[in-house]
Amino acid sequence: MSFWRRNLAAARLAWIQQFEYRFNLFVDAILQPVLTATVEVALWYAMVSGIGDGDSLGGFSRAHYLHYALWAAFVARIGANWMYEFRMGEEIQSGTINVILTRPLSFYQFYLSQFMSYKVLTSMLSLTVPAMIASFLIPGPTDLSRLPMACVLILAYLIMAYNISFIVVCGGFHLNRISSITTAKNIAIWCFTGELFPIDLAPLAVKNILLNLPFSAGVYVPVGYITGRCGADLVLRSLLMVLVWAGITGLIGQLLWSFSIKRYSGTGA
Amino acid sequence: MKQTDTNSFSNELAISASDLGRVFQTYKKPEGFKASVAGFFNRQYEYKEALKPTTLDIKRGSIVGLVGANGAGKTTLLKLLSGLIHPTSGSARVLGHEPWRRQESYLRRMGILLGQKNQLWWDISPADSFALLGRIYGITPIDVRSRVMELAEKLQCTEQLNIQLRRLSLGERMKMEIIGSLLHRPEILFLDEPTIGLDIVAQNTIREFLMEYARAERPTIILTSHYMDDIAHLADRLLLISRGAIVYDGTVKGFMARADLKQRLKMRFEDPLSSAVTAGKGEYSIEVGATVADIAVNGNEVSAVLKDILGQTRIAELQIEQTNFEDVIHEFLASESRRR
Repeated sequence: MSFWRRNLAAARLAWIQQFEYRFNLFVDAILQPVLTATVEVALWYAMVSGIGDGDSLGGFSRAHYLHYALWAAFVARIGANWMYEFRMGEEIQSGTINVILTRPLSFYQFYLSQFMSYKVLTSMLSLTVPAMIASFLIPGPTDLSRLPMACVLILAYLIMAYNISFIVVCGGFHLNRISSITTAKNIAIWCFTGELFPIDLAPLAVKNILLNLPFSAGVYVPVGYITGRCGADLVLRSLLMVLVWAGITGLIGQLLWSFSIKRYSGTGA
Repeated sequence: MKQTDTNSFSNELAISASDLGRVFQTYKKPEGFKASVAGFFNRQYEYKEALKPTTLDIKRGSIVGLVGANGAGKTTLLKLLSGLIHPTSGSARVLGHEPWRRQESYLRRMGILLGQKNQLWWDISPADSFALLGRIYGITPIDVRSRVMELAEKLQCTEQLNIQLRRLSLGERMKMEIIGSLLHRPEILFLDEPTIGLDIVAQNTIREFLMEYARAERPTIILTSHYMDDIAHLADRLLLISRGAIVYDGTVKGFMARADLKQRLKMRFEDPLSSAVTAGKGEYSIEVGATVADIAVNGNEVSAVLKDILGQTRIAELQIEQTNFEDVIHEFLASESRRR
């Protein structure tokens, strides 16, 4: 009971903090992904404009690509965790982690609750944009009835993404400054998620590798599912893979935490 | 069985530490660009014994003042006992728990205030922070509100409860931090510089509040402060730390009694002195012809010195200053530091 009460309180904190800065929330949840989506859709529009109405590229029509680009920009932002990772790293570097260490709280749970709550809030706001555009402005293959299952996969992916962040953050006890690791890691993951291009366009060998990594669950699989590029079987396979990796990364994170916390010097206090 | 042990422990001692020590590893970089480049490839580390193996017992309900210069080891001791950091040697039990295991049952019973760090959330109001803390500690919202109002009234800060923390002044923030650390009625309270950087009025308010709180709720308090008035007013036991070791453990009164207390006499005479006046076995003297004097003498020599002067001339102005606790502590720590 106290576990849920504490973590719900942390989740609530994320919302309260976001509501303190209304304009920042609007920019973060709506404006930024809209700008990204505009750029990506424009790029894809230029690339696929040569495809005629009845033609296809790699088995998919122009509308498929435009809808993929539209959803990918929004879903990729949900899966990104640089903000909380930076914040957690900063807490260790500056010593503000003391606030959590001296209270009946777990650093892992406290930030996981905040991270998930923040993602739920921003997703609720931002996903309405592609849903509206796909429904009213650019008709195409988007199937909104597939959105709930895609969201379940994204949710599982978020837990794994957070666990990877937690592993990086634990490095802060040894290296102090980890911001460059966070950036490099996020760029690497970004290449594997399928935000840049639909993974099915890649050569077969590359496609097989990318689909066997859990990162495709961040963009390609859920977006591909919503926009009709892949079926439920791939979503379920991806979900299983992400859950296994979430377990593995969670375990590594906890072991690393137990080892690293012994090195902590209570910075700045 | 373990619970029983914890209870029996807590009936006698709040803290028991044996050979508790901590060594920090730090990168030592000589000055200059060349040294930076060299350090990039070959890093020289230095090991600093921030706290030498320390054995210590503290009874429940006592207020212990921890005093030392910057880097003496007092905050390291506080961090070890509060469970923030792990020791490199020795053991400790606080309320029957090994603090650095950070068991929930321990963290619920202790509170800490780090004067140089915000412990409430910067972007939200203190009232929201307290509500969150209430949920973390399992206190009902009604109890949180009444406890907050009770403490805020005593600290005279009820008006600021609903203002974003970042918009409050340092003194107001510190009062909020105190409320946050006392919300769950901790049995043991670690206060690290609770009055640092505050003006005299705020210092006094906090000092008086802590005195009243300690009297009413009887928690065990471990207090560090650079303001000796905090220690003199609040602590019933004094621990002086120098270079990682405890160099004095006793009462404030006891410390003052063993100190060689001096009184400072500042005088202006109506006429120049016709003969020299000496005190303290010749340690202090006023020369022939002097019209002003500023000397420190032992308390039992004051009347003899004044009598000697009045035999020669009249005193136009006289000021007698008692050497205070702060001066004695500084002198003691400086001599300890030189000795080690």
